[in-house]
Amino acid sequence: MTFLVHHISARAWFGLLTLVPILFLLLLVLLAPPDGNERAQLLQFVGRFHLLAVHLPIALLVLVPVMELAGRSRYFPYLLPSANFILGVATCGAIVAGALGWCLARSGGYSGPLVTQHMWGGVFVAIAAWLCWLFGARSSESHLNPVYAIALLATVGLVSFTGYRGGQVSQGENHLTEQMPARLCTLLGLPAPKIPETISSNGGPATFFGARIQPLFAGHCVGCHGHTKHKADLRLYSYNAVMRGSKHGPVIKAGNPKSSKLFHRITLPPGDDDFMPAQNKPPLSPNEVKLIELWISAGASGTQLADAIKDIPLDSARLPAVAEASFEEFDPVATAKQRAGLAPIVAQLQQRFPAALDYESRGSADLVINASLLGSKFGDNDLAALAPLSEHIVIADFSRTTITDSSSSAIGAMKRLRSLRLMHTKITNATVQALAPLSQLESLNLFDTPVTPAALTAIGHLPKLRHLYARETKISPDAPMSEDMKEKIIF
Amino acid sequence: MTSSKANQQGPRAPASEPLPEEIYARLLAQTRRHFLRSFSAGLGTMFLGTLASPLLSSSMAGGIAADGTRRLDFTRDPKSPLAALPPQFAARAKRVIYLHMAGAPSQLELFEHKPELTKLDGQDCPMSFLTGKRFAFINGVPKMLGSQYPFHQTGQSGQWISDRLPRLEKHIDDLCLIKSMRTDQFNHAPAQLLVQTGDARLGHPALGSWVLYGLGTENQNLPGFIVLLSGGNSPDGGKQLWGPGFLPSVYQGVQCRSHGEPVLYLDNPAKVSRSLRRSMLDAIDEINRQSYAEFGNPETVTRIAQYEMSFRMQMDATDAMDIRKEPAAVRSAYGSNPGESSFANNCLVARRLAERGVRYIQLYHWGWDSHGSNAKEALNIGFADRCREVDQPIAALLADLKARGMMEDTLVVWGGEFGRTSMRENRGGQTMTLIGRDHNPGAFTIWMAGGGVKPGLTFGQTDDMGYEIVKDPVEVRDLHATILYILGFDHHKLNYSYQGLDQKVTGVKPSRVVAEVLA
Repeated sequence: MTFLVHHISARAWFGLLTLVPILFLLLLVLLAPPDGNERAQLLQFVGRFHLLAVHLPIALLVLVPVMELAGRSRYFPYLLPSANFILGVATCGAIVAGALGWCLARSGGYSGPLVTQHMWGGVFVAIAAWLCWLFGARSSESHLNPVYAIALLATVGLVSFTGYRGGQVSQGENHLTEQMPARLCTLLGLPAPKIPETISSNGGPATFFGARIQPLFAGHCVGCHGHTKHKADLRLYSYNAVMRGSKHGPVIKAGNPKSSKLFHRITLPPGDDDFMPAQNKPPLSPNEVKLIELWISAGASGTQLADAIKDIPLDSARLPAVAEASFEEFDPVATAKQRAGLAPIVAQLQQRFPAALDYESRGSADLVINASLLGSKFGDNDLAALAPLSEHIVIADFSRTTITDSSSSAIGAMKRLRSLRLMHTKITNATVQALAPLSQLESLNLFDTPVTPAALTAIGHLPKLRHLYARETKISPDAPMSEDMKEKIIF
Repeated sequence: MTSSKANQQGPRAPASEPLPEEIYARLLAQTRRHFLRSFSAGLGTMFLGTLASPLLSSSMAGGIAADGTRRLDFTRDPKSPLAALPPQFAARAKRVIYLHMAGAPSQLELFEHKPELTKLDGQDCPMSFLTGKRFAFINGVPKMLGSQYPFHQTGQSGQWISDRLPRLEKHIDDLCLIKSMRTDQFNHAPAQLLVQTGDARLGHPALGSWVLYGLGTENQNLPGFIVLLSGGNSPDGGKQLWGPGFLPSVYQGVQCRSHGEPVLYLDNPAKVSRSLRRSMLDAIDEINRQSYAEFGNPETVTRIAQYEMSFRMQMDATDAMDIRKEPAAVRSAYGSNPGESSFANNCLVARRLAERGVRYIQLYHWGWDSHGSNAKEALNIGFADRCREVDQPIAALLADLKARGMMEDTLVVWGGEFGRTSMRENRGGQTMTLIGRDHNPGAFTIWMAGGGVKPGLTFGQTDDMGYEIVKDPVEVRDLHATILYILGFDHHKLNYSYQGLDQKVTGVKPSRVVAEVLA
């Protein structure tokens, strides 16, 4: 060990003082790995500083190769003598970050391959940094020790790997690709980003799940099986998460409470090791257990309405005293996906018919056309341009336009129409007869059109028709018509 | 300059600001180092500002709101601030016609049948009705006052109604009456502000402004929020009732006149042609655009948009407001008489505007403040006149909307700003010659029709005196939440970021959609 001769005291002391904690860390990781259980609050508190401390050694370890390279150029020769010092600091930093990391992992309820790999990565980074420090002293301007160079490169690689795993632990497995533009994904040959699980109509406030079951989970379970902690990889904060289950598979078996793991665990005798909620947390009341049983028996649905399940035990979830309106949430990503096929055509036609064409709502791919605002500027040719969107139009207003019977087949092709307005137009019975396939039509407005009573037979059978507006047509209130039609027709 | 230094210099010129020469000298003395020092500090502040802004304000459009749900994005091209946007969820109605009876009509003479009150007519009011209550004019112990008009049941829904609205009565099965409305304001101006803007104080956007902000308007050649007064007195709340508050001022209600030019000075002056007007506007727009590029004030964009809209309105507004274009039969159904300011004319205009895609049409009628202090405001004289003025036009409007299929997507709302007392007003503690009632914020009646509300329904209930609510109270903010729900919005989500809050029309107190009245 000739290279230690000149600085025997300082370097040897430093080497020993750092090697001992590294070995101690190794022992900790070997003997007390994180096991998904939560431990002392103090340990957790200290552990949280891992995220703060970890970035110093990362930066320093990436800095050293830069210094080694730049120091060999003409411009920065003064960098070279500092590289070994930086390595020393980095080694200390890696040890501290590693120790804090163990605190966090051991006490914070972490487990699984991600955190294990991240942890071992961290330990090896500390060891690699120490080795680099050891061999780096022999490196000089003229001579780059090959072992040192390889160790440095390996360290940087190790840091990158460990850092990536760390990002996955804290930010989610796909944290780098999640927001990647779809085009870049295809360019890199990656699968397109999955729609993140955001707000789902499943389990909305008006559903049985949202009104009765979710509050139970929120009150009793999400402390350990939620966003921040997810023991056994089980998350109970949303309908989708509940149905996804834990690392051992689904915990709910729709229709069968007895073989649903979640139900099994909450119905064990309270002293049992597997009883949930664990660790002397307040158990669910018998009525709450009954609610969950009823919900699973009825199919564990996320969309079933709150009043769909009768005979629920009364003192459990609070009954809403009055009717509740439910606010439909929408998921912009899912909506964009639904609209993907027609969005370009819609955008193009919105240019052509300003303010006349739009989606029915922000969360819908159904379309509403109101051509009445364009008036005489809208004719048969314009209506024909809507053909590619026919199946998506649910409300159409062609009042005051110049359309004629030659548009009849184009209107007849709008099979999902719920409301159709043809006020003040020249259309005749021919158009009304073409409406026969509109099985969804609820409202038809023929106000001020030359339609005659003969048209009534053509639409008499429309199953959903509720209103037919026929003032200022050739149909008079005393024209012969079925009793059914008399109920629907409005003068 | 510190004050001590100023004192040493003795009396100074009134201007405590440095003189221009001083500023110039100071600028000359600036070195590169001065600049860099102040600049780097500024840079740091800017960085901290960007860090803090998501915490302090919530102006991130389309981001995530405090409750973890997704924020709605209302940003538009600055050149078309009124562009239509789809609602949050499928709407039950796409426009509103709001008929506000300013002064607060007496529910006890129109919709609230209270035989027990009639039995007690003329007796002293029990003290339990008076303790802890504030009145505008009632003094001491007033007498109970039974309804001044006979009631009867009508329609298939069998609702009770007085004999004052014989034509509206024919549409009773289309109305959804809410008899348990409640407010916390007992004076006209704040109560009207509360009903129209959601807050009794000035400075909050009108409900119509909120709707316009949320949905925009279909017809870009007309204002999206139009206000029509019916002659007589203007509402006590003033123009703030249709003001934009803290919303950008493009969303304010535009008050139109029902005769002559719909908007004052809309027509070109004599000898100014439309093309001359166009080139003048082009020049002004160019100057405004430069001003916007220089200062970035969003109100400049508003001004450009307003000039452009006025130009387009010159054609369309005049046409939309011209009820002479309606067939004589339609005009006579409304009882309208072109050329005068009347509620009847306004109802007909409202239908024409609704047909043309105007989003929010606000009508005010006046003179419903039936205290009994003069003939115009007496229940037995002026009140009867007011009823006659509105009965036929409202009935005609409902019939017209129904025949044209527009009840399907138009919400009609009728109401005042509070109710009236079950006691006879005794101004100054005296028995008055005429009969009237004082203000009662504790209970009043409104009705809605069309737009997905349950027809033929009576919701809520007051006590036997019609004085206080005993069942299903509906706060004004609940009404607003319900109207927004009908238009396709969760009232929590129709937000505008102002003063560090996600402002909303329903304010911060809990409010609910009255789902019971929805069909």
